[in-house]
Amino acid sequence: MDRGDNRTRFANVVIPHLDDAYGLARWVTGNRADAEDVVQEACLRAFRGIDGFSGGNGRAWVLTIVRNTAYDWLRKNRSATVIHVDDLEAIERMQLADDAAAGDNPEAALIARADEAKLEAAIASLPALFRETLVLRDVQGLDYREIATITGVPIGTVMSRLARARRRVIETLGVEK
Amino acid sequence: MTENDRLLLNAYIDGELDPAHVLELERRLAEDRALANERARIEALRGAMRERLPRETASPALRRRVAALARPQPFAVNWRGGWASMAASVVAAFAAGSIATLVAIGPGGREPVAELLVASHMRALMASQPVEVTSSDRHTVKPWFNGKLPESPRVVDLTAQGFPLVGGRIDVIGLTPVPTLVYRARLHVISLTALPLSSRASASPHAIEGYNIVEWTDGPLAYWAVSDLAVPELENFAKAFRAGEAVP
Repeated sequence: MDRGDNRTRFANVVIPHLDDAYGLARWVTGNRADAEDVVQEACLRAFRGIDGFSGGNGRAWVLTIVRNTAYDWLRKNRSATVIHVDDLEAIERMQLADDAAAGDNPEAALIARADEAKLEAAIASLPALFRETLVLRDVQGLDYREIATITGVPIGTVMSRLARARRRVIETLGVEK
Repeated sequence: MTENDRLLLNAYIDGELDPAHVLELERRLAEDRALANERARIEALRGAMRERLPRETASPALRRRVAALARPQPFAVNWRGGWASMAASVVAAFAAGSIATLVAIGPGGREPVAELLVASHMRALMASQPVEVTSSDRHTVKPWFNGKLPESPRVVDLTAQGFPLVGGRIDVIGLTPVPTLVYRARLHVISLTALPLSSRASASPHAIEGYNIVEWTDGPLAYWAVSDLAVPELENFAKAFRAGEAVP
């Protein structure tokens, strides 16, 4: 495949997903300037590797590259903030508070009223691997299989991370302050 | 509410539950107040995220910089193809596994070494290239690990046996950076990772998500070979690697 073809493929496959790419990078890095650097680097990688795209789900392919680039960037620039698997397992072992409280459900109303700043803060405070799973599902609307592909884990792990991420955000938002 | 109830409830809300479980869960939602309340909270959260979080858009400046990549460049960008079919097989493996996985939900969370290695292998196949150092010369690959890891791995030339060296990369398993050599068998990629023996898992599964795993120990190290290559061929590879002469 010559380079002209590659440029056309890049324009067709990558550029339509630029907003999603930027959105994911923003949530992973936590700020907009870093997200721009990550997306630019990811697009360069995508361009070089466009031969490796076999057709099919272009968005998942692009987001996989963005995610890997974002974590490489975090490791290089902010190694302390990257959550390693061991830490994550410790978090996942934590017993989740089981609210047996039947009857009224005041938390649901509080959560429904949470404003942008509170939502942002609650999601931003999640461990990185929980946060990306929640963002890919509830902000970007990807299905479990796509999220599994992008994050490189089995679907069972996606389900577990998503359930825990939502529970933690609910616990943060469902408390009257 | 058990952990499994939560997973099923979340999958139900996301429309990812199979029909048999949907009926069962809807019956329970009608009876179980705590479960119904949790559903209301999750729906409230999803609604708030949908309505209040701003839609992130790439800035015009970023768009221009990226679009410039797609325009003719004065410098040559050269990349050899060939990974396409492998990336496709990753996607196919997920497609095949998804329904079964949804029904057979385990306790979740725990990721044994074999799973982490398969995940690294899959991520590498989906990256723009599966190696960080590309070389078929073991005298180039081995020194590349020096200075990055306390010990560089044993590197064996297996070209004559049909397993040319592609290069190497560093994977992080748990908190430990470990060397991974990448070999090729026809169109298949083999990731061979050397781990300290202590991180060896008790069970030794032979296939995860369609990838075969062959494991052996050599002195203080456990070697794990991961590939979509058939088990007998992967075992041939392991045998050849063990018998091969390493770079001093």
